[in-house]
Amino acid sequence: MAQKGSKIICPSCGAENLPGTLFCVQCGTYLPSGGPLRTEPLPEEEGGRPAHVHKEGADSDGQSRAINIEVEVLNTGRKVLLSADREILVGRLDAAHGIFPELDMTTDGGLEQGVSRRHARIYTRDGACFVEDLDSTNGTFLNDERVTPYLPYAFHDGDVLMFGTMKMRMHIHTGMHRNS
Amino acid sequence: MVAIDPTKDYYEVLSVSPLAGETDIKQAYRDLARRLHPDTSDGDPDRFRVVQEAYEVLRDVALRTAYDRQREMRGLSAQAPISIDMVLSRPAVPISTATQMLYVWLSLKATSELRPAQNRLNLALVIDRSNSMYGVRMQNVKMAVTDLVESLHPEDRLALIAFSDRAEVLAPSMPAQDRRAFGAAIAALRPGGGTEIFQGLRAGLDEVQRYANATSINHVILLTDGRTYGDEDAALTAARSATAQGLGISAFGIGEDWNDDFLDALARYGGGVTHYIDSVKDVRNVLRNQIQGLSGTLAHRLTLNLNLAPYARIQAIYRAAPYMEVLGHSSSKPVALGRLVSGEPIEVVLELLVEAQEVGERRIARIDIEAEEAGSLRPMQLHQDVRITFKQNPEQHQVPPKLLNIISRLSVFQLQEKAWRALEQGDTRQATQYLEAVATRLFDMGCRELGHAAMLEVGRLSQGSDPTGEGRKKLRYGTRALTIPSK
Repeated sequence: MAQKGSKIICPSCGAENLPGTLFCVQCGTYLPSGGPLRTEPLPEEEGGRPAHVHKEGADSDGQSRAINIEVEVLNTGRKVLLSADREILVGRLDAAHGIFPELDMTTDGGLEQGVSRRHARIYTRDGACFVEDLDSTNGTFLNDERVTPYLPYAFHDGDVLMFGTMKMRMHIHTGMHRNS
Repeated sequence: MVAIDPTKDYYEVLSVSPLAGETDIKQAYRDLARRLHPDTSDGDPDRFRVVQEAYEVLRDVALRTAYDRQREMRGLSAQAPISIDMVLSRPAVPISTATQMLYVWLSLKATSELRPAQNRLNLALVIDRSNSMYGVRMQNVKMAVTDLVESLHPEDRLALIAFSDRAEVLAPSMPAQDRRAFGAAIAALRPGGGTEIFQGLRAGLDEVQRYANATSINHVILLTDGRTYGDEDAALTAARSATAQGLGISAFGIGEDWNDDFLDALARYGGGVTHYIDSVKDVRNVLRNQIQGLSGTLAHRLTLNLNLAPYARIQAIYRAAPYMEVLGHSSSKPVALGRLVSGEPIEVVLELLVEAQEVGERRIARIDIEAEEAGSLRPMQLHQDVRITFKQNPEQHQVPPKLLNIISRLSVFQLQEKAWRALEQGDTRQATQYLEAVATRLFDMGCRELGHAAMLEVGRLSQGSDPTGEGRKKLRYGTRALTIPSK
């Protein structure tokens, strides 16, 4: 994303937008925020997701064990902490078609590395983590083995998932919910 | 000194709502104390003591707040009748010199605590019978009104008013069960004359006012196909004072010649909605849906008050659901949000401009929501703080997908609103650019029909002609409906 001073320059029409703007005020083009790629420190206590997700995800018995998945993108070193309270869509954001993945690989060079817009989904069931390929163009690999689309594959802490040619190491953290 | 016991539900003890005001609490206490006082014949010293304890705590603002907090921490607090959900576009902003943009999404939802009261409707239908209504339009309106009378509960009230240059009460407010009288009134509806909305509106408001009470849902529905000239201000003033008295106004525009800016303002002041009816056959459905929506009213007169930190400004306030609308551009006045209907959350998006501050977490805004419960007119208040952290180098944050999706749709609506504003200021070139962008985005989203409507207007503008009223209304009312269906 081109940045002039601290303003965001729209790649489509060249209009200047305030930092933090999501869609160009002049032409409505999506402006991926964040600027240049850099290694990202691990989000602090509250995690990388808004607090409301925790609330909605809490089990009815109140004894909710939260599973957080920390994704380490191996080529850029970016680390993202995601709550697995809900299904995580892995892909590339396409606002025009209403695709808003929880794990958006746009800024990591997802397009060049063959990540589909709707590539795979990650979810937990009974405390275990699963990945399911959504019939992506370039496939999903679990520890270098290609998985069959639409079938759940369990993965564990430290396993490497590859979406297209993009490798990510998955770290699974299990903890108690903080009282929200 | 009063001891607080968070395990006791003092609200329950006094049989008041957790949102009850000072006077309600005092009244409840007095009634109970009189009944339970040990000196009376059926006095109950034990309950009397508890009632007294409850009152001692709830009467005092500081004690009550402390009690509420302790209850909340123990998960004992009763569910509020309206819940607020909030999502920010990012939790932290950098301490750079540049002004930062922050999006705040709010969703107001009725919790199970609020149930639709079995309220009676008290309606007036104000029908335009100007010359332009002649023929198919009038036939369809007559059918729709007949249908409406039949779909009302026999005890609901309805008044029928026709207006052209002057207003005529075809049927004064009466229970809907009197179908024969309404049939005669509908038959008397004949086109002729001009369009002067204020007269009709005034007569409709008077009819509704006559039978308005706290437990009825009082609403005027205006049905017009034309423009009114010179009496807009009078109509808006009437709408505003009607709202203050608990009356609502909705406006339905038929065809393409009516003034959308005016009807939108009228409905906004009146706490109702505007509908664009492009095919006259739809009158019936729109009317029927409106009645259903009114019956599901849970709370009236929702208002939003914003208290901003000195380094934060509002760029714009939008309604994002149930339909999109520009609500305002400043925080100086309370924003009217209208009615809360069951199963239909009200969503609001704030665009905040934030100036850099020193490192640390700060409250940049306090949001206060006020409303009245339908049926009882019991006042309700709730508030929400907006907090963000100013950081040297905030970590890259993924915008919550849900928020992104909403802002994405809202931006299409914004662009076409900007196009019409540019056009009003005579900047055709700018307006054309905006509309082209709108068309592109609409085609991307798969809204082909709307995209074509935008392209047609772009074509007209670039040839130097004016946009069509039809195209403008299609786009305005089409893009405002690009909301995400609530689950």
